Amino acid sequence: MAPAGADNRIITRGFTGTWAELGRQFEDTLPPAAAIAVRDNLEAARAVWAAASGEHELLVASGTRLTPELSEDLRGAGLAIVRQGEVEPPLTERAADPGRVWLLTSGSTGRPKRVAHTLESLTTVGQGQPPRVWLCPYAHGAYAWWQVVTLGISLPGQDILFVEPDELDTWPAAALEAGVSAASGTPTFWRQALYRDPESVAALPLEQVTLGGEPVDQAILTRLTEMFPDARVSWIYASSEAGATIAVHDGLAGFPEEWLGVEKPGRATLFVEDGELLIASPKRGEGIPEVLRTGDRAEVVDGRVLITGRMASDEINVGGAKASASAVRDVLQSHPAVAWASVKGRKAPIVGSMVTAEVVLDGEATEAELVAWCAERLPDYSVPRRLRFLDQIPIKETLKSDV
Amino acid sequence: MSAVSREQIRTMMAEVLSAQGKEMPTDDSTELEGIGFRSLDFSELALRVEDETGEELNFDAPGLRQIRTVTDVLDFLEQLQGA
Repeated sequence: MAPAGADNRIITRGFTGTWAELGRQFEDTLPPAAAIAVRDNLEAARAVWAAASGEHELLVASGTRLTPELSEDLRGAGLAIVRQGEVEPPLTERAADPGRVWLLTSGSTGRPKRVAHTLESLTTVGQGQPPRVWLCPYAHGAYAWWQVVTLGISLPGQDILFVEPDELDTWPAAALEAGVSAASGTPTFWRQALYRDPESVAALPLEQVTLGGEPVDQAILTRLTEMFPDARVSWIYASSEAGATIAVHDGLAGFPEEWLGVEKPGRATLFVEDGELLIASPKRGEGIPEVLRTGDRAEVVDGRVLITGRMASDEINVGGAKASASAVRDVLQSHPAVAWASVKGRKAPIVGSMVTAEVVLDGEATEAELVAWCAERLPDYSVPRRLRFLDQIPIKETLKSDV
Repeated sequence: MSAVSREQIRTMMAEVLSAQGKEMPTDDSTELEGIGFRSLDFSELALRVEDETGEELNFDAPGLRQIRTVTDVLDFLEQLQGA
């Protein structure tokens, strides 16, 4: 049976039409278990459409992600590699697992790992959604990409405009033409869009604005809420391991403290332990522990649980005092002239390490003013001592700044 | 990149102090405690010197001694380059 969204439209470079119109010719040539190194969203969409038949085992990833080492790993795990029509056979023979969809973790702490899902486990949005045209700027095959894609193939009335990595500077015009009414992106994606072309972004008739994939701070939520007063502005916590577990729609950073420990059927249960977010999620990947230690730092401030950054990279030890990179970043990004900031520790004599920052301005501010701004809000060891001004917001294919 | 001169280090030290709302004294025998020049400030100054020379300063070099006055800071960072 065709998926419910078969007649939804997709707009991508080189193709405008429905999922059904993608045809089945790709599927016919596909090995039963394959990792597809895609060049663009059209190839990725064809792979998804093949996956929707339920007869294949698939992994979809940008060609740039499937490095020779990772490809060897995947072949060793029984997947053929399909790259530009060429097939490299698996190194291990085994029966395919039809309906299995593999995702890769971000690999920020080493080589990416495979996480086992199905189209069903990746489908996290329920029935009853208003008709929308979604913007999908995420990297091919990433968890957030799959969330938009599964919405598109499983719910009638959900069209998608895909954005390629090299279209990140120009997407607002295409989105306006396509009638995009819902858009999902990382905070870095939104900051970059508002920095480059705020007028074109503001012209979009957005009803839904979604952020995820990175810590979501109040400054960007406020900016988007003010720009789109009629839209619902949401932030989502999701990962390939945990699945989509937290959705917050009140325009505030963090989630209410009273959500902690609450058990509801079909919903994730959230905990904070030793400053780390723990999640028991029904949408987790197979083989993922029931209670997952996320590695993300969480702190309760004024009744909200704020997820501020990775545990491993957040703490900067300045002469024995512990500075939080995310706290400093949030203070910098709350300055009216700062469009984006990144904070890191730098090895320094005497105190071991010092807090340093890179900043992109969209207004007037001097280094001394920003240092003073921080000094009013942070302990002295947390105030960045070396500030570097960049001309543009750095953004990776993952739409993140740091990974 | 070439070493940073004593006068350049002096200017950088004044910038570090200025960013903290403090003033560089004219008398180099002034004690650091009196002008509020602390270890964080000293570390920042060292980073500024590193950024200028493009080389990391080796604080493990022999001869590390008590640093009490502005002169001590200037002497130390001057000697440390190339150590």
